[in-house]
Amino acid sequence: MTLQESIEQIMKKKQYESFDEWVCNFALNLSNIWKESSANELTNSTNFSKNLPAIVIGRGPSINTHNHLKLLAESDYKGNIICCDGKLIDALKAGVTPSKFPNFFVTTIDPIPEVEQHYDDQIVNDFGPKIKGIFTVLTNPNVVNRARKAGIKIHWLHSLFDNNEGKKSFNQISRLIVRAKNHTNGLPAIQTGGNVGTSSWFIGWKILKCSTIALIGINHGWEESDSWETILSHGHNYDVSKGIDRNSSTFEKLFKKIYNPDFNCTCILDPLFQFYSMGFKEFISRSPDWLTTINATEGGSIFGDRIQSMKFEIFLKKYTN
Amino acid sequence: MKTNFKKDDSDSSVTELNNDQPKKDLTQEEFEEYISKSGAKGSFMIYRSDKKDEELGIDEF
Repeated sequence: MTLQESIEQIMKKKQYESFDEWVCNFALNLSNIWKESSANELTNSTNFSKNLPAIVIGRGPSINTHNHLKLLAESDYKGNIICCDGKLIDALKAGVTPSKFPNFFVTTIDPIPEVEQHYDDQIVNDFGPKIKGIFTVLTNPNVVNRARKAGIKIHWLHSLFDNNEGKKSFNQISRLIVRAKNHTNGLPAIQTGGNVGTSSWFIGWKILKCSTIALIGINHGWEESDSWETILSHGHNYDVSKGIDRNSSTFEKLFKKIYNPDFNCTCILDPLFQFYSMGFKEFISRSPDWLTTINATEGGSIFGDRIQSMKFEIFLKKYTN
Repeated sequence: MKTNFKKDDSDSSVTELNNDQPKKDLTQEEFEEYISKSGAKGSFMIYRSDKKDEELGIDEF
């Protein structure tokens, strides 16, 4: 079994440990799902143009290293902003706001309650009414309530996870329940790729129908200057080192250092980032020819087939004129 | 700030990520525990289906 297959197997098992929680989340969201908008309503919204590019904002380390939020805030960029929830507060505080960029979307995919902290700030209240939120139906209801309280307009979608298991899968059952009232055409269902960054790229492509999607802060990897605590714990900064010998060959396989030729830099991929990075690159390579993906992260592991790498400053010049 | 790897400017090869196996000096249980603790629990996995187009999403589900 390859490392990739091994991680997929473990993640599938772990995914089902959270299954009860996800069903509860869906049940508690249901009355609001029936009342509120489908993410598909954004597709034909008159407030944005699919002819404009989209920038996906993640929270990878390069975004701070290269001052990308400042560059964006000071630019005359006119396109769409798709901000991953984990970077929302930082983006708003840096001046990347819906007042300056009216086509401003925030995305939440992870169903865990901790995501609420990404919305829990006065600056989210200040700009919330101008932000369009995109949430999976399995989002923890406290997270959606916090966003709703800030005035963010909620748009729902399904996250595909077990639809391949047929009519009795939860994807299928929740699909039928959602369609039972108001959403007779259902909601869009997206591939999450396991993380909000990949999901946001899919939203740019499949929901907003943008033909150019740029990425910043989507490293899917660590920088060499990041601490071991950060790398070993996938950024959670707690001790997960039991059983891991840093001098072993296993360690070199699990924590790969790779060279990014497009940006002439190296990065370190923990097992989860190897999983996410492989998946994301696969999906980019499978995207239609009319879609251009530009990685302006200036670091990380996302490079290869169908990916144009470009400094963010150059992207902004090219797509502002 | 800590540095984890010695810089090697001559390293110009891109490491393949899909052909490596966890070695035996980390047991399956330890590996599983590690993956779980490092953020896998509570996250979605990549959706796979025999219908390959469906893996890229469904417009009206």
